Amino acid sequence: MAGVCGIYAFDEIWNVSRFVYYQLIAIQSRGQESFGMSISDFKDVRSANGKGTIQESLESYEVNELLGCCGVGGVSTRDVNGYISDDIAIYFDGSVKITEEAVQKLRMDLGNMPEKEAVRSFLDGLSGAYSMVILTKEKMIATRDKLGVKPLVIGGVGFDLAVVASETSALDVIGAELSRDIEPGEIVVIDRHYIEEIKAEKRPPCANCIFEYVYMARIDSKINGIYIHEIRNRIGKLLAKQNPVEADVVIGVPETAIPFAMAYSNESKIPLDIGFMRTGKVTRTAIKPTQMERMIGVQLKLNPVRTAVRGKRVVLIDDSVVRGTTMRNIVNLLRKRGAKEVHVRICSPKLISPCPFGTEVPTKDELIAVDNTEYEIASIIDADSFAYISVDDLVNVLGGDGYCSGCMTGNYPEVD
Amino acid sequence: MKFMIVGSGGREHAIAENAKKCGYDVYAATEIRNPGLLETCKEVHLVDILNGEAVCRMAGKLRPDLIFIGSEESLFAGVSDALRREGHTVIGASKATADIEKSKGFMRRLMEKHGLYGRLRFKTFNNIEEASRYIDEYAGSVAIKPTRQAGGKGVKVIADLQAYLKDEKSAAKKRHVSDIVNQKLSQDLEDPILIEERVEGIEYTLQCFTDGKNIVPLKVVEDHPHAFVEDIGPETGGMGSISGVGNNLPFLTDKDFKISYEIVENVIKAIKKETGESYFGVLSGQFMLTDKWGPTVIEFYSRLGDPETVNIMPQLQNFDEIMEGMQNGSLKGIKADFERKATVVKVVAPKGYPNERDIGKGHILNMDMDKINKTGSKVYFGSVYEDDGKYYTGGSRALEVYAAADSIVEANEKVEKAISCISSDWKLFHRKDIGTKALLEKRMDQANLARDIFHYREERGLIGKNIDWIPGIGRIET
Repeated sequence: MAGVCGIYAFDEIWNVSRFVYYQLIAIQSRGQESFGMSISDFKDVRSANGKGTIQESLESYEVNELLGCCGVGGVSTRDVNGYISDDIAIYFDGSVKITEEAVQKLRMDLGNMPEKEAVRSFLDGLSGAYSMVILTKEKMIATRDKLGVKPLVIGGVGFDLAVVASETSALDVIGAELSRDIEPGEIVVIDRHYIEEIKAEKRPPCANCIFEYVYMARIDSKINGIYIHEIRNRIGKLLAKQNPVEADVVIGVPETAIPFAMAYSNESKIPLDIGFMRTGKVTRTAIKPTQMERMIGVQLKLNPVRTAVRGKRVVLIDDSVVRGTTMRNIVNLLRKRGAKEVHVRICSPKLISPCPFGTEVPTKDELIAVDNTEYEIASIIDADSFAYISVDDLVNVLGGDGYCSGCMTGNYPEVD
Repeated sequence: MKFMIVGSGGREHAIAENAKKCGYDVYAATEIRNPGLLETCKEVHLVDILNGEAVCRMAGKLRPDLIFIGSEESLFAGVSDALRREGHTVIGASKATADIEKSKGFMRRLMEKHGLYGRLRFKTFNNIEEASRYIDEYAGSVAIKPTRQAGGKGVKVIADLQAYLKDEKSAAKKRHVSDIVNQKLSQDLEDPILIEERVEGIEYTLQCFTDGKNIVPLKVVEDHPHAFVEDIGPETGGMGSISGVGNNLPFLTDKDFKISYEIVENVIKAIKKETGESYFGVLSGQFMLTDKWGPTVIEFYSRLGDPETVNIMPQLQNFDEIMEGMQNGSLKGIKADFERKATVVKVVAPKGYPNERDIGKGHILNMDMDKINKTGSKVYFGSVYEDDGKYYTGGSRALEVYAAADSIVEANEKVEKAISCISSDWKLFHRKDIGTKALLEKRMDQANLARDIFHYREERGLIGKNIDWIPGIGRIET
């Protein structure tokens, strides 16, 4: 999993490095293992990258040393997705592989032919899903694969800056106005003298990653024209209608599940309470790479609030269950703090299949939902009851079609 | 009637065309061989239109019944005064009254002094150091502009709402102040730098003919100042404009229109008081619908807008009545009569506009006129010159493509078809998004948002007020 961003000033009075820095913080929730940012002053492309979160790993002076009026960046759950050199930098969210040879050809082509042809030829050599930003010394290029699996938006600030990012939150953080989603298969070239939008002539039906809506994206973002907050609110309500339970309190697992829990509570009229306090920084446990780190992540993060759960029948809301390990720990924590019953409700459908497009869904033998029923899962995690939302219901809530729900169904769209 | 137009662009082309339609013999004083003027006018004279004597010499030979000055720079240079001294009848503000456009400092001071509706807080500066010091002390959201009219060049609107980006914004503001001075965007004014409070909202233009007493308002037009699609990119003189079927725009209310009209009316009175001269010609208010006042003044034009003129002229049915009213010195009882059609105008510009116009100069323009005519659109020539039967770009906005239809969206479709028949050996660009349903809906949302906040302020009696609370000092109301 990953996120990208970029910013382009039409006027050299601007130094954008700190803008990119804050954009990266705004999309950090999409990948906390590594980051990179590259800035051009029209002469050189200079980069800074590192492990962990950008706030922890990058010193203020290191940001200030990157001077220039255009820049791009990326965050990732693995080593940073992309390519960095002193004349070209690429960051992407997705599943493609960028080779030195491909970039060398792109470099040559950019010098010899119109940039749209050069970029098109580069992209034709890639296989997989991507939302990508490319920075050359003088241009910024933003593009999305033909299926539109990964999100990407464009906007602007006043008369000065053009801005792109995986999520609208990275526009808001620097005060940019959202213009629109970049279309699947579209290439947007931003130059000092023009913005060229090259739309795909023909493209397969859309396959927007459905996991974005339930888990990946921030609640203050708008992804493919859909407000995430609105969707999660509706999912929470639907879950309350479909899987009601007699209970005394609803609590959500911080951070992602809190809005679902609020909606469940509003619909069921069971009061919502703050069930957990977090210790330390926000980490997203499902995207931590090793088992040990996950355990530490859970224990550090979640400390149950005793009086919120003691002697009560608890509805526990979470956004997803991958391996069940985290959930089992949480249920046990609640029981030890005196919860009488624990009913687990999950706001995304079962995950049963890995993702070929770069989202770290583990292999089948690590997915608890592959060969366990809801009743069986309840027994494994020591819950009184356990329920998911179905894929069909999720699609209904989102409205229309055009989603990739491969991790929940095992059916994937065709990629060329 | 012998009708003489002064100016070189698409605006003058559109005026000349309507004059010809009225049966006038049209003559042009122009700086470039504009193909539109060449086609429309009986004679086209290449004249330095900023030189009063030169224009007078031409008018002296020609003896026109009426002279219409299209270009603001001619007004600033006192061409209308020179012509009037020679006894000509001129539509065009005098040098002194045209200061309402030339100097935003003059305009803002006038509005402040007379307590006019829609004014903004501002300060002007005569050197970089003083302006930079002000930026250091007052770290708010501001617009920084050359005080002088500079054709949209040098305008920066910088929102400063994120404390963590304050240093970057402050540095950019200061660099921009230096640019205004170093690029001599404002050089013939004592106070070349203007810093005013930033407002946001939708811009629109209300263009009016006036004899100093009576006012004939034209249809309201919305211009699009950003260079590139989706309202991104540098400020330009305008990349396209739209008008509705009726006299107002879809996202403005009758009340918005009325307030805007009254502002123009009061400014005309205030100019008379301030300069002692009656305003005679065209006065256009460039407004923004903001949450502070509703209709708020961004600037005034002492002439018709460009490209806004092109929305208006082909549709204005009684241009002759207005012209003859002006000729007789009174517009009493005259109302502008328009076709009930929506219009869209889009500018086609060469790569390089607006920031590096030199690279966009001298490139050939190919136009399939038969095909364009079939789309029902019409091309007005802006910064284009004709040489040996071929058309070349002049570096600024080259073409203004116009169409009328029953809706803005339909007019846009015609214009887009016409633009697809235009090509060059150089990269051309235009804004595909102007006149689309998506952009109109966005404008409607923006307008409603501004009005909601404005209504709250109205109910609380806060219109036009600025209330601040400063620690250690307390509440300050201005």
